[in-house]
Amino acid sequence: MAELLKEQEETQKWGMVIDMDICSGCQACVTACSMENNVPFVGEDEMAYGRGLQWMRIRRYWEGEYPEVTPTHQPMLCQQCGSAPCEPVCPTFASVHSQEEQINVQVYNRCIGTRYCANNCPFSARVFNWFDYETPAPMNSYLNPDVSVRRRGIMEKCTFCVQRIVHGRQQAAAEGREVEDGDIVPACAQACPTDAIVFGDLSDPESKVSKMSRSDRAFKELEELGTQPKVIYLKGGKSYGG
Amino acid sequence: MKPNVPWWQRGSIRISIVLVLLILVGGAGVGIYYTQAPPEQPIPFPHNFHVGIGAECMYCHTGAATGPSAGLPTTNKCWGCHQQLEPRNENLKLVASFAENEESIPWVPVALQPDFVKFNHQPHITAGVSCETCHGDVASMTVAEPQPRHNMGWCLDCHQKMSTPEDFVRLSDCATCHY
Repeated sequence: MAELLKEQEETQKWGMVIDMDICSGCQACVTACSMENNVPFVGEDEMAYGRGLQWMRIRRYWEGEYPEVTPTHQPMLCQQCGSAPCEPVCPTFASVHSQEEQINVQVYNRCIGTRYCANNCPFSARVFNWFDYETPAPMNSYLNPDVSVRRRGIMEKCTFCVQRIVHGRQQAAAEGREVEDGDIVPACAQACPTDAIVFGDLSDPESKVSKMSRSDRAFKELEELGTQPKVIYLKGGKSYGG
Repeated sequence: MKPNVPWWQRGSIRISIVLVLLILVGGAGVGIYYTQAPPEQPIPFPHNFHVGIGAECMYCHTGAATGPSAGLPTTNKCWGCHQQLEPRNENLKLVASFAENEESIPWVPVALQPDFVKFNHQPHITAGVSCETCHGDVASMTVAEPQPRHNMGWCLDCHQKMSTPEDFVRLSDCATCHY
């Protein structure tokens, strides 16, 4: 087991730290994600039916026992599990693990929409395209040319903005250097007004994300399931400022 | 009384089978022809002549070394040289008329990738891949011709041949081209 864990430590690559103590739940990350990744806004009715399309969402939950309950929130996105429950169940190998980036990638062309992966995801991070949503002009000019526009009937999810990862690596290679910490910033981290989201290379122990992941406040969501999430949350005991 | 011949020997059935086959084969033929034939260009640009007088590919397709798309030349790029020349034939007069009206020439792109493939010229040029490797011997073409069998296996073949096994992990990763 120790060897296995060590191997996983070695293969770890991209990771994200979300500081829930400074996250204000403003949803800027959700909006930025949808704009970056051509995720359509489906409207109230479809959201109520549970057909919402959001790669990232602010999950609201309640803490404490009645009457001392407090609402609190948590940004939830694909945890890019090292041992992902969505991958082995896909009959068409549309949900595969990227050896290079160590993230879960969804190959849209292979997906036939069985939705098995979404049902197996403990984080409910995957969304299904129930319909083709037309982007009315002039909003179609906002579509990001770097990301495929998905059609209906396929599953999609957060990619850690892999288009930005690829672009960052190509940019660094063109300038003849290695990718540096902070070169690659996904849309949610870029939009976050409080810098609660930090993205980087977990394999590099000196990167900002690695240092933050070693914090005392760090925890992984549903860690007991052993899916080895690459998203690390920070949350303290509400004793701010000592 | 019904004629005592098996159904596959009846004339009507045989004729309809032949007709269906003809339509299928003809449709396939036409489909293949239209996807492989070079599209009609506003001006039948003679690549062979321009390469022959020493024009580099990247003089007109300037984006190849710096970005994802190589790009098609603007009217000003053509006019930069051609305003110094006497328009000898109809095509050159057409260039002149585009330039006088300050219109862009509606070139039809030939080398196209599907929407879900994200191809970037820049790393390929940096790795020293020549233009001819993918675009064919443009120096002997008039208008650019689409190259057959530009599929994923072809991409991966080249990636495997040109890289070390360690690099091939990255170069064969789905997320390198599809996102």
